[in-house]
Amino acid sequence: MQSPDLSQTYFELFGLKPIFAIDLDQLKVEQRRLQASYHPDRHVNESDRNKRLSVQVASWINQAYETLQDPVKRSRYLLEISGADFPDDSTTTSDTGFLMEQIELREAVEACRQDPDGLASSELIEARLWQREQELVSEFIARFEASDLDAAIGVSRKMQFIQRIQHQLAEIQFELEEA
Amino acid sequence: MALLQISEPGQSAAPHQHRASAGIDLGTTNSLVATVRSGEAVCLADEEGRNLLPSVVHFASSGILVGHQAAVLQSSDPLNSIASIKRLMGRGQEDVSQLDDVMPYEFVTRADSSVPRIHTRGGDFSAVEISAEILKLLAQRARQSINSELDGVVITVPAYFDDAQRQATRDAATLAGLNLFRLLNEPTAAAVAYGLDQSADGVIAVYDLGGGTFDISLLRLNKGVFEVLATGGDSSLGGDDMDHALGEWIIAEAGFSDVDTGLARRILLAARAAKEELTSAESTRITIDDRQHQWSATISRECFDELVQNLVAKTVTACRRALRDAGVNKSGIDEVVMVGGSTRVPLVQSMVAGYFERKPMCDLDPDKVVALGAAIQADILAGNNPDSGMLLLDVLPLSLGIETMGGLSEKIISRNTAIPVARAQEFTTFKDGQTAMSIHVVQGERELVSDCRSLARFELRGFPPMTAGAARIRVTYQVDADGLMSVTAEELTSGVAADIVVKPSYGLTDSEIESMLRASMDHAREDIELRMHKEQQVEARRVIEAIDAAMAQDGAALLTADESADIEKHRDSLESALETAAAEELKRLIRALEEASEFYVARRMDNSVKQALAGKQIDEVDV
Repeated sequence: MQSPDLSQTYFELFGLKPIFAIDLDQLKVEQRRLQASYHPDRHVNESDRNKRLSVQVASWINQAYETLQDPVKRSRYLLEISGADFPDDSTTTSDTGFLMEQIELREAVEACRQDPDGLASSELIEARLWQREQELVSEFIARFEASDLDAAIGVSRKMQFIQRIQHQLAEIQFELEEA
Repeated sequence: MALLQISEPGQSAAPHQHRASAGIDLGTTNSLVATVRSGEAVCLADEEGRNLLPSVVHFASSGILVGHQAAVLQSSDPLNSIASIKRLMGRGQEDVSQLDDVMPYEFVTRADSSVPRIHTRGGDFSAVEISAEILKLLAQRARQSINSELDGVVITVPAYFDDAQRQATRDAATLAGLNLFRLLNEPTAAAVAYGLDQSADGVIAVYDLGGGTFDISLLRLNKGVFEVLATGGDSSLGGDDMDHALGEWIIAEAGFSDVDTGLARRILLAARAAKEELTSAESTRITIDDRQHQWSATISRECFDELVQNLVAKTVTACRRALRDAGVNKSGIDEVVMVGGSTRVPLVQSMVAGYFERKPMCDLDPDKVVALGAAIQADILAGNNPDSGMLLLDVLPLSLGIETMGGLSEKIISRNTAIPVARAQEFTTFKDGQTAMSIHVVQGERELVSDCRSLARFELRGFPPMTAGAARIRVTYQVDADGLMSVTAEELTSGVAADIVVKPSYGLTDSEIESMLRASMDHAREDIELRMHKEQQVEARRVIEAIDAAMAQDGAALLTADESADIEKHRDSLESALETAAAEELKRLIRALEEASEFYVARRMDNSVKQALAGKQIDEVDV
């Protein structure tokens, strides 16, 4: 088995330009094409070395796909390969306006649980979160293209906050539908 | 001109060489084996034409019986005839105690092993060893049918099987001496059997109602990737419950008040026969006839439907729950696939069709569909079908986490992540000179470790001693394409790899598997003896039948009363020894009967020659 070049970036692996706005359909097609040659199912009759290698390569391809497929992970990865110095997760944001917004959004999401019309309220928040996500994505692209990596890091972190709240909201919506 | 074929090392040099493979459905009640022959998946039957092998293993002091012969002994010798062993795969002592009412066996635990064993007359056996016996027999059937050694097999497992249960299945394959290509999810296998991997993307519901279990799985097919969205069901609901419902009706209708085990058995058999009859007939007659009880009545399909209505309704409720778990609407289901013998019941088909508002797929034999799908996958993995683009990409069924401070589970790889997958984590030491650390891996979605299922404890040893916090230990968790996890670790500043000792919470350790493999080689001799014994029994029956047929035809004409009595005497002593005598003794008795009847055989031959010649002129005979 010929291993792909493991030193290339995830973007190179899938034949994509290293930008945020990638073609997700192409990503999917390429992922499938790569797994069709490297997945362990394609190497069951080979030497143990090749079998092990195919597990590792297929894992790497899956990791690459998962990273590029998720907007937050993609933004972080893009910054990492551009040489940005990413602070730890524990570093807090200094943007107090955004912090206030976070607290307010979180409270609104939690309030849906007690709200007799929780589902309807949750859909309003959902739309607002989606709106915020789009704004942040545009801002990220602009900062990144302007090579303002420090600012882009800040935006990427905000995108992560929004994504967390989106997950939290989805869970509450699920609970509300169950009840 | 000489043709030279050059290929990469390890790659197939002979593309036309067919590789023998098989798919095995290792079921709770029954197991099957299938293979692809001339491009078509077929189930393989035993000598008597039966496809289903009861998943029952009987342990006698003289050896092991598997399948039909073991199933027959279940009622007379339940503690040595092990059924439903699949329920114990990858299970620990505390799980076993919860299964008390379904599993009447005597369990023993050993201090040196976390795996419970069942005590039988033939010894103590783990679920892995018992399953391996079933696999051995199915593999043997495949070898005989294909007339070749097997290059590899695919074995199916329920989609909800966790790492320990999958590992146990894999260990059973190892113990049975099989090269396991891949473990395949049962619902995925069913979808493959119907060729759904080639259809448009969408959501597929697989409704699997077997003898004693019900499973509903929702799969999403996305560009050839099958993702399990949700699974649900009832591990104690199946066709047997329908037999019970009808049996109770029979007892009430007939007014039987003195139902002992014997009568109950007869009633259940009659109920099962009637249930099967009613899959095609509108009504059928049930007759109970023994010394004390005579009763007969006609039952219509409507009446039967009424009796099992509640049971089928339970399965529909489980479907509803699974849809909710998957976050899928009924209208979002693109196909419904029927699996399991009990889906032949018309009410099941109509209620499932009614709920999903579409006609379920049931063209393939629902008993065989999982094995057929496994055979197709095995054939592709063997490389016999290089043009097939089929690639089943699977996801991790349950999240993997490690225990952190306070008994919390920190997710390392979350469920539904495409596999194979690897994740690395960095740790440091918290004590000066620390050279070892321990990682507890759990599987499950809950926050608390105690609510998840313990998978294994990994002891990492042999790090170079450093001051606290100076070591950088990278631990890599690798999940392979079967969903099984392994761990490697390295201290990054020195490049020293750790020695890893795995202590599986519910599985067999590598050394246990090794010693079982060694023991099974010893058993192989006993197995050969058992097979010889069976062969002698078959031979004895054949000789007795031949003698009986001859005596009936011309015994009176060709033998004196004394001669006849002598042959009868030898015949009878062989017959009475048939079930009890050892192989050698049977062989001796067969020879004795053959010797005693030698003159008779010669006389018959002379006689038939005389008859053939009778009335013919000498010159007509070509000497």
